[in-house]
Amino acid sequence: MSSKSVVATIAGRTTYAVLHGLLHRAGSQLPGRVALAIDPQVVAHLKSKTRKGSVVVCGTNGKTTTTNVIAATLEAAGNHVLCNRDGANMLPGVASALLPGHTADWAVIEADELSCAHILPQLQPTYLVLLNLFRDQLDRAGEIDHVQDVIVQSLAASPATTLLVCGDDPLCLGVAERAQAAGTKVLAFGINEDLGLPCDRVPEARFCQRCGTELSYAYRSYAQLGAFRCPACGFARPTLDYRATNVRLGQAGVTFDFTCDEADSWQVSLGDGGVYIVYNLLAAAAVALRAGVDSATFLQTLDGFDPGNGRLQHFVIGDHPVVLNLAKNPTGLNQNISLMLADERLKALYIIINDEANDGRDVSWLWDVDFERLTERQDVSFVMAGGHRANDLQVRLKYAGIAAPVVLRMDDVLDCAFVLPKQNPLYVITNYSALWPTKTKLEQRSQKDE
Amino acid sequence: MNNGQSLQVLHLYPELLNLYGDSGNMLVLRKRLEWRHLGCTVHEVHMGERASLADVDLVFIGGGSDREQRIVCDELHQQRQEFAAFVEDGGVMLAVCGGYQLLGHSYLMGEEEVRGLSLVDLYTDRGSPRLIGNVVVESRIAAQPIVGYENHGGRTHLEAGVEALGRVLHGYGNDGQSGEEGCLYRNVVGTYVHGPLLPKNPGLADWLITRALERRYGACELEPLDDTDELAANETMRKRLL
Repeated sequence: MSSKSVVATIAGRTTYAVLHGLLHRAGSQLPGRVALAIDPQVVAHLKSKTRKGSVVVCGTNGKTTTTNVIAATLEAAGNHVLCNRDGANMLPGVASALLPGHTADWAVIEADELSCAHILPQLQPTYLVLLNLFRDQLDRAGEIDHVQDVIVQSLAASPATTLLVCGDDPLCLGVAERAQAAGTKVLAFGINEDLGLPCDRVPEARFCQRCGTELSYAYRSYAQLGAFRCPACGFARPTLDYRATNVRLGQAGVTFDFTCDEADSWQVSLGDGGVYIVYNLLAAAAVALRAGVDSATFLQTLDGFDPGNGRLQHFVIGDHPVVLNLAKNPTGLNQNISLMLADERLKALYIIINDEANDGRDVSWLWDVDFERLTERQDVSFVMAGGHRANDLQVRLKYAGIAAPVVLRMDDVLDCAFVLPKQNPLYVITNYSALWPTKTKLEQRSQKDE
Repeated sequence: MNNGQSLQVLHLYPELLNLYGDSGNMLVLRKRLEWRHLGCTVHEVHMGERASLADVDLVFIGGGSDREQRIVCDELHQQRQEFAAFVEDGGVMLAVCGGYQLLGHSYLMGEEEVRGLSLVDLYTDRGSPRLIGNVVVESRIAAQPIVGYENHGGRTHLEAGVEALGRVLHGYGNDGQSGEEGCLYRNVVGTYVHGPLLPKNPGLADWLITRALERRYGACELEPLDDTDELAANETMRKRLL
């Protein structure tokens, strides 16, 4: 390590110690910022302390969950893991995550898609997991073409990295094909059967990444993910190296068989989530297997898996189950709606839409969400709109045939939801900036009840 | 009430031009007609299909990525004459974002100049940076200022004699300098205000509907709707921004 990066590391660690020890603040970015200010290449220097390797997880949806599962399972297998668990996924957050301690076995890093451009060249990870690409934050991230270009260029700057890609997603495969042509090793994962699920109304990525012809699908699992092929040029879902089969989705969560050519199949299950979770777990299982984790350790990790980070977090308040989940783009919200409709109990729904910088200032995407599906059934008793853009959400719901009052305080929301018979749930869906305040509030209310 | 009145709406290439919740504009037109017991049929035109404008009242064209906009532009050139005739005959058209750029003589894709449809006397070049953010526009055709979001690299210039849709009260508009946003030519509205343009701006939605009904059925007065929610959303953003 150069003297500059030694100073950078010490300064970053001191900041971390002050924030945690004295101020009791999480401060996930600040230590990294301090270290980077002194040495912009500090991540490149810190990576040398990971003895076995590093994994970067990126993709529009599911990054935090996948990162957390991978980190937890590597730890359960006895590894010392550095991880940006809280989801601070730009370069300062990554630097912060790598600061503590002198050695580690693995770094497991969640990376914002555009930040890959800064993270990959420095970290030179063993694996890059690319989960999916959806339209998200067009005002900040730009169009998907641009995001794809950035990932391809990042991989070019990290030639020893193996790309573990969702082969079911034509947009991810577009990236993989270009990276492979430039010499990147590519492995693909996907769901190898038709789940018979309904399609989203506003389709993403309907056209071939190579020639622009409309893709045809043998089946879709959600959004643009599925068994696709281009009738004109042969662009198609590749042979899957890691596959999910016998997928069961239901109120009790998900189960599937994880199969590949290099090991016996694992029967994976998690007590929560919809089809998107299958992809996250599939990617995590593939990394775990390649990192030498055995099936028993992986499955045990999932058994007790509760990241407590607002992704499908459960509370009980006033004898009512409350389910909190994050949704920050049409695909995420559509998946949440599917998940909620799988629950046949009478229920209330509260949606919070903010437009802070990390949410995306533009809330146009609300019009691409299939809120109309909420009216298909009688068991969604009522919907409430919250957040800084509650009024926009209210208008969107009105045109979907749903009269949703604007309710801004969580206490009022709970009062409204509690007119439902006991044991009937409230679902709370928020986008990014409202997630932590909402989680904190729900934790306070559920503790008060204990 | 109904009198059997009904509008035919043409939605151009929704599978390509759907970048910013554009389908919301269609939904709003449909619902606001339906709530007044007026009929509405939306015909989607897909790639490779030839749009017939003969019986059409209102044409909508949304925004897409550069690549998709280019594909659409090439396709529409085959029907330029028919679109020009529709516009000159007072046909109603709403063109948003990329669709707005296609109305003019040309726009730039990277360094390449792409020939537009020349339906309105305007052209688009590029500038840096992209003009991104909330926007508020005062327009003579809507009682409340138009509120929405813009995100465009293009700088659109109106030639003499082409009216702007309105005056920018907040945001950038056509080029970030002229203080003007969009264009208003005969019954054509072009604008960079994208996505849920019509939901939060019911006055503009009803202006388009009124023009289309007038052209088909003669003078018309729209039954008022309860726009409490729409106007609250509009006002919330205006209060925040102005």
